[in-house]
Amino acid sequence: MLDLIVAPLAEPFFLRALLAIALSGAACACLGAYVVLRRMAFVSTALTHSILPGVVGALLLGFSPYLGALFAALLTAAGAAWLASRKGTSEDSAVGVMLSVMFAAGIALMQQANSWRDFAGLLFGSVVSVGTEDLVVIGLTAALVLFGLRALHKELELASFDEEYAALLGARPALMRVVLLGLVALGSVACVRLLGALLTTALFILPAATGVLLGRTLPQVMAWGFGCALLGGVGGLYLSYYLSAVPSGAGIVLCCALPYLAARLFAAPR
Amino acid sequence: MRHFIKSLSPRLGEAFFAVLPSIPYASQEKERCPGEAITAQGLSAAARVDGPVAFHDATFEIPCGCRAALIGPNGSGKSTLLRVLAGLTPIRSGEIRVAGETPRLGRSRIAYLAQRPQLAEHFPIKLRRLVQMGTYAHHGWFEECHHGDEAIDRALAQLGLTELAERPVQTLSGGQRQRALIARAVVQGAEILLLDEPYAALDQPSREIIDRFLFESGATFTVLMATHDPADLGRFDRILEMRGGTVLTRHACSGHDHRHA
Repeated sequence: MLDLIVAPLAEPFFLRALLAIALSGAACACLGAYVVLRRMAFVSTALTHSILPGVVGALLLGFSPYLGALFAALLTAAGAAWLASRKGTSEDSAVGVMLSVMFAAGIALMQQANSWRDFAGLLFGSVVSVGTEDLVVIGLTAALVLFGLRALHKELELASFDEEYAALLGARPALMRVVLLGLVALGSVACVRLLGALLTTALFILPAATGVLLGRTLPQVMAWGFGCALLGGVGGLYLSYYLSAVPSGAGIVLCCALPYLAARLFAAPR
Repeated sequence: MRHFIKSLSPRLGEAFFAVLPSIPYASQEKERCPGEAITAQGLSAAARVDGPVAFHDATFEIPCGCRAALIGPNGSGKSTLLRVLAGLTPIRSGEIRVAGETPRLGRSRIAYLAQRPQLAEHFPIKLRRLVQMGTYAHHGWFEECHHGDEAIDRALAQLGLTELAERPVQTLSGGQRQRALIARAVVQGAEILLLDEPYAALDQPSREIIDRFLFESGATFTVLMATHDPADLGRFDRILEMRGGTVLTRHACSGHDHRHA
């Protein structure tokens, strides 16, 4: 039994993946608490999906895929905000428009590159592709996200809980929303290697949704969320290590769903 | 171990925030109320940016320490007027001074209680933390609040909430929630309370506690309260009536109507 746990640790790629999931899990679970509590699941899904054209475009043009991903996510957020500010378009449909346009653009760009096989990792993530330089980027973005959340904790909490009072005090709730969207864009950049454009959103939503069932204060929700992300991430990596039929991204997401299910079934209703 | 973490975390927090600059949310003025708490000159405003005006030519003043009632039928613009005074709804024309400032600048002095407070449902927060949010008015960006614990305890006791301090806000009744929001205004140090039908959905005990607090505790607030209850009016110093799209003032002492134009 112990052998089964220790054996993968001899592989450098496995260690790097573990570190990557711990870092991005911390960032995404804490950020996810706001995403879930503010009902921003759809917009965060749109941001993470629309990373695709950014990454593919960056690969075609030959610059860093992380910059491309960040640019694409920010473009989606800005586009959706602009569309929603016009009359006659609700925020929901504005986000939907940006999501479909960006994702279709990503598919079109993939066709340009003439190879679908290489891009499976972009869509669903690939555990072996996490290199040392990727770890540096993941660590930096996760640190930036956590720093932002800590520094603005009381403003973000206030704006999420009682927007009107935040406006009354001058704590700029609209600006806080923009900050959160920016942090979600940053956070999704941290996950894109491991989970790909399609599955990244799971790391924002599943652990935080579990945390909301278990925590009684916002820091508790974040802590539970981080625990679940860690549990699911590590479990998923082991699962895909031993069951080659399960890709790592899918394994992580499935294992993150287990604590949610358990909490849903067994947590005392509040 | 748990104790060690608990004693360490505030110090870590302080170290973290010591390196960040602290920027106030708004200019913070600290003299006491100068004579008139609220003055309005030829005010008009609309409930929504592109909607019709709710009232026009409203001219009135409310002195410091005055308890004023705001009456009028549904849809006469009471809520809009209160939101304008709180700086939440922009004015179309006219001039308004709250404690000698424009509403946006005087805001740490104002507390506004909506008829149905729009608190996020299911948000994981305890009552004590909600009340503590009042202290944010005296802090700014990148500052953590470690102080004000006595003020919070006092406000909780005044509104009969001490027992409930550790309860999640989502489990509170409407009346308990309304009292918590008043406690938050007290902690904020607000001098002017704008209350939009605070009794609308209240059980009797909550109503009595709020009543006692506002009218009998010797608190020195200026109060402007929208109300529908004619039995209430005797307790107010001044009555503002919204009728025909404007505001009429009635002084309780002099007893006669007179209209400012």
